[in-house]
Amino acid sequence: MTEILRLRNLHKSFGPLEVLKGIDLAVAQGEVIVLIGASGSGKSTLLRCINFMEIPTSGRVFLHGTPVGRQTSSGVSYVERELTQIRARIGMVFQHFNLFPHMTALQNVMEGPRTVLKCSPDECRNRADNQLRKVGLEWKADAYPSQLSGGQQQRVAIARALAMEPEIMLFDEVTSALDPELVGEVLITMKELADEGMTMLIVTHELGFAYSVADRVLFLADGNVLEQGSPPEVLTYPKEEATKNFLRGHSSFRLPEPQLD
Amino acid sequence: MGYEWDFLVVLRDFDLLLLGLVNTLKVTVLALVLGVPIGLALALLRLYGNLVVRAPVGLLIEFLRTTPPIAQLFWFFFALPILTGIEIDPFRASILTFALQSSAFFAEVFRGGIVSIDTGQWEASKALGMSRNESLRRIILPQAVKRMIPAFLERAIELMKTTTLVSTISYADLLYQANSIAQSTYRSLEVFSIAAAMYFLVIFACSMIVRYIEARLAIASEAAH
Repeated sequence: MTEILRLRNLHKSFGPLEVLKGIDLAVAQGEVIVLIGASGSGKSTLLRCINFMEIPTSGRVFLHGTPVGRQTSSGVSYVERELTQIRARIGMVFQHFNLFPHMTALQNVMEGPRTVLKCSPDECRNRADNQLRKVGLEWKADAYPSQLSGGQQQRVAIARALAMEPEIMLFDEVTSALDPELVGEVLITMKELADEGMTMLIVTHELGFAYSVADRVLFLADGNVLEQGSPPEVLTYPKEEATKNFLRGHSSFRLPEPQLD
Repeated sequence: MGYEWDFLVVLRDFDLLLLGLVNTLKVTVLALVLGVPIGLALALLRLYGNLVVRAPVGLLIEFLRTTPPIAQLFWFFFALPILTGIEIDPFRASILTFALQSSAFFAEVFRGGIVSIDTGQWEASKALGMSRNESLRRIILPQAVKRMIPAFLERAIELMKTTTLVSTISYADLLYQANSIAQSTYRSLEVFSIAAAMYFLVIFACSMIVRYIEARLAIASEAAH
């Protein structure tokens, strides 16, 4: 197993509020990790610290064994230039898609290769065509985001991140803003990506999806990883009382989650 | 009333009025061409500069917005030469005043436009690995500028009206020309009526264009939702 990402004793505070209280995590190449937990447990913040959308208050992030930032006597210092390069290597998809509304689907997907990677126009076009085809939306290439359904927008957003050919993909509650009937198409796209061997960290409330796609499930509570293991270990036979409560609350008024194959 | 209208006297000097109109447009357009980029620079400094920059820039903007344009014009024309020892002609003083004055307004329009863009747009471009400048240039400003166009055009029209002040420092704009013709022909009523009509025609045409563009933008953004 090749380690691609390691977090060491990661802390993050917003003012007096400590959101992450020392996270340690090693992620193998190709591993699919699902983060679950109540809102406020720190799952989103954890994702956002991995690609430095938030700067960790302390602790270290290692990418392929190389630490990000420079250790100084007063903590780790980061240079913005290094962080933009790290972000370019890690894809992120958001709850609210955040497509660029003044660009077509194709232009959205071309934007990263064009502006950040400085690819040639042909190369940008190629990458964008390929990624749109992969998410099944090549026929919507010339549509503007406003002309797409929520599910289609989210798939374009996934294609946009993939066009950067990232080493890791982060998904931050990407189906939470979707109408229920549009959730499936996005989950299927993610499942295909996982099957291709993409390293993925996913924050989601879709426990059925987590069960069928995750290699490892992490349960976060109050800024700590309280419990982790295979999907059956965490989702079916949780050991911790908090995990059991969370799962009970989560499924009390739900039909059984659909099983993806 | 027994007043005898005589437009002919005035129309003989119509070329002078036209010259005045051209001069008015010259000041307006130059003030816009200089004022918009200065305004953008001021807005970016006010938004993203460090504290040492932000405070004075904010003060400058507020100062330019809250002092009467005529006081600024007099300052640049009469006071600045004393300070610098360099004589300044009415044309340059006018450009300087109105470029700076409108830049302050444009700075606020830019700032309003930029902050009105959803933070998710910043997040998405940042996550792709864009620097702040790249995000601004490629993602934020194109969207912000589109929202700002009506306010810009509105401001441009306002500016053209304000430039009549330059006649007070003997710059030969439309109003100044009208005034001199009136004094030489004693036909104030005719001259100023024609001058007013000329302002009306130009500005009304401009505001028609503004309205047309606004309507087009409204349709475009409706199609976008």
